[in-house]
Amino acid sequence: MNTLLQIAQVSDDGLKSIALGIGAGLGSIGAGIGIGIIFGKEIESVARQPELRDELQSIRWLGFALTEAVAFYTFIFALIAFFL
Amino acid sequence: MSRLSTKQKVFLGIGSWLALAVVVHLIFGSSGRNDSFQPQEEFELTPWVTLELGAIDMSITKGVFYVLLAAVLTTATMVYIAKRMQDRPNRVQTAVEVAYDLTRNTMTGQNMGRPMATKWFSFIATLFFFIWFSNMIGYLPLPVNTGHPVDVLGLEIPSLAIYAATANISLPLVLTLLVWIVYHVEGVRVKGLVGFTKSFVPPGISGAGAIPLFVIEVISDFVRIISLSVRLFANVLAGHLLILFMAGGLVVLLGLPALGVLTLGMAIPFFLFEVGLVATLQAFIFATLTSIYLGDATAESH
Repeated sequence: MNTLLQIAQVSDDGLKSIALGIGAGLGSIGAGIGIGIIFGKEIESVARQPELRDELQSIRWLGFALTEAVAFYTFIFALIAFFL
Repeated sequence: MSRLSTKQKVFLGIGSWLALAVVVHLIFGSSGRNDSFQPQEEFELTPWVTLELGAIDMSITKGVFYVLLAAVLTTATMVYIAKRMQDRPNRVQTAVEVAYDLTRNTMTGQNMGRPMATKWFSFIATLFFFIWFSNMIGYLPLPVNTGHPVDVLGLEIPSLAIYAATANISLPLVLTLLVWIVYHVEGVRVKGLVGFTKSFVPPGISGAGAIPLFVIEVISDFVRIISLSVRLFANVLAGHLLILFMAGGLVVLLGLPALGVLTLGMAIPFFLFEVGLVATLQAFIFATLTSIYLGDATAESH
């Protein structure tokens, strides 16, 4: 494996950067889909029952922040993997 | 001259933006990779006043400065507004009243019973305002970067930098541990030790099936420490990293002035997004989740 890496001229840092990119990128996909679902469903609900708009608004922001944080977990753990 | 359609205007705008980048590249060129610039120095805590108690390092750093500044601002603003309440509120008082209503009714009132909400409203509102102030002053450029002083008329003044106390894991972790201990103590006080331990098992399940569920619920209770603190920390840190790299970090690191034309255009929307949404939203989330955890720990139905 080591000789293979030497032949391909791949450094340890380079591999770590690739890992960070792939890890954080894959994490963002899930969070992106989740945020899309949250806002889509909220629009649907408000279209059905416009009088619930204010109540739904605070739930929407709660769901948005909880989902968005998932992307940052992957980012932070990728950074930890990069620097350790 | 015929008038341009919207599509043409957009293409013209993007085209001239790219052309500006190309012109900048032709004039300034590339100065090669810059190895002396270390972007992580921006988050380094250099002690200003060294203060060590035995093995505990209590030096005053810029993180401590930001915590103190946020605490002073929170207290001063709220006491000042409360002292001069008027029947016909001015703009600042209206804004604070909206925030008060948000903390009292949306965050606390919806997640707890009435007596609990009156009791814990002040705790949750304090958490919200403290985190909000420490997030917001994190986006004001303040002279805190002592690593790169600027010489102004013979005086060495620290250069302007943005940093937030919440962009360091310590402050969110301390707040989270406080919340975690508080809701356990409160749960034991309301239901008793046995009742509180039993409440980890969801209602309607008894017998041998309850044991694995109990283990899972206890683990998820401990994971709350990580999720609550890392959520706040990672959001603020990622925002500051984005602003740092987009607004010039990448340009200095790669030595490519032309890149700055493109990244600065992205830095401004990111900055507005962080100030306008993320700072408030994260404070709101932290306080709301605290309220939900407290309400869960003391609710009778569980």
